[in-house]
Amino acid sequence: MRTRGALLAANIVGGLALGFTVSRIGFGDYGELNRMFTFQDLRMFLAFAGAVAIIAVAFALLRVRRNPGRIHAGVVPGAVLFGTGWAISGGCPAIPIIQVGAGYLPALVTIAGIALGVWLCRWTNGRFLRLDRGSCGV
Amino acid sequence: MTYWPWWAGAVGLALVTIAFTLATDRTLGVSGAWERVLHWREERNRERVEARFTDDRALADLLAAATAEEFGTRHPAPGTPGADLPVGPPVEEAPRAPKRPAPVVTQAALLVSILVGGWLAAVVSGQFELRLDMGAAFSEIVTDNPVTMVLALFAGGIMVGFGTRLAGGCSSGHGLSGCGRLNPVSLLATAVFFGTAVVVSFLLWKVI
Repeated sequence: MRTRGALLAANIVGGLALGFTVSRIGFGDYGELNRMFTFQDLRMFLAFAGAVAIIAVAFALLRVRRNPGRIHAGVVPGAVLFGTGWAISGGCPAIPIIQVGAGYLPALVTIAGIALGVWLCRWTNGRFLRLDRGSCGV
Repeated sequence: MTYWPWWAGAVGLALVTIAFTLATDRTLGVSGAWERVLHWREERNRERVEARFTDDRALADLLAAATAEEFGTRHPAPGTPGADLPVGPPVEEAPRAPKRPAPVVTQAALLVSILVGGWLAAVVSGQFELRLDMGAAFSEIVTDNPVTMVLALFAGGIMVGFGTRLAGGCSSGHGLSGCGRLNPVSLLATAVFFGTAVVVSFLLWKVI
């Protein structure tokens, strides 16, 4: 069992390292992002794919357990929405934060949108969608 | 602008994800952190209830231990009343409860630290600049009208927030941690959101 203090320290160090790395790869740069998604420049794609490959090997060697995540009804529509929003705004949930850190003030609007979207997901799911575990933080 | 070569980015992202997973025994997921921080009131209540529940369980365990010490745990000798009653099969151990999410305050710290990390990266590389646009490429590919820009960012943000939570993860939770674990749900989600982003990016670049 991890203590609260250890978790806090790990999240602070992890957040600093993640923000620094994602920013220095160039994910906060809309031009770089569009060039990745249109395959004009494979640098960031290789960084992401390479990271997944290293993680997969390390997790297999360290025997990190798999998550028993089921493929539920929200996965495909959610991922389509996310991909569309990412291509338009240039933000996955971490990117607008580092954009603000780099001085791009309009990214605050993206953050506001993400906050509303996250809140709306739980609200809509509770009222209308009624998807089970795995969706909208249920 | 100079960014890291691809291999440095790959090593950096992998190190962050692996170290975080080993240190916390939890999945690194930014959209999940948003989710819990934005619902902090409910999450705090849930944490309180769960803390009480553990206290109750600890109390029950203590009582059971004290009872065993006082009266022993041996079965009654044959002949004593009740000894002939059929003994049921041993109670199966309860399935392990799902791991509790990290306290909501640590996830708020994660989001703030990402901001500080991004700021440090921009300052160190000499790219920090307070500005009211999203860069030349955004103006060229999406819009150079400030009002349309704000609308596009807001709408895109809503899609990202709603979509990541509906799908149960984003590029860190599904993309890095989930694909690294070869979870089928994460591989599917990553393929779909990446594929959609490719299609929409081509539309923005070539058509609109």
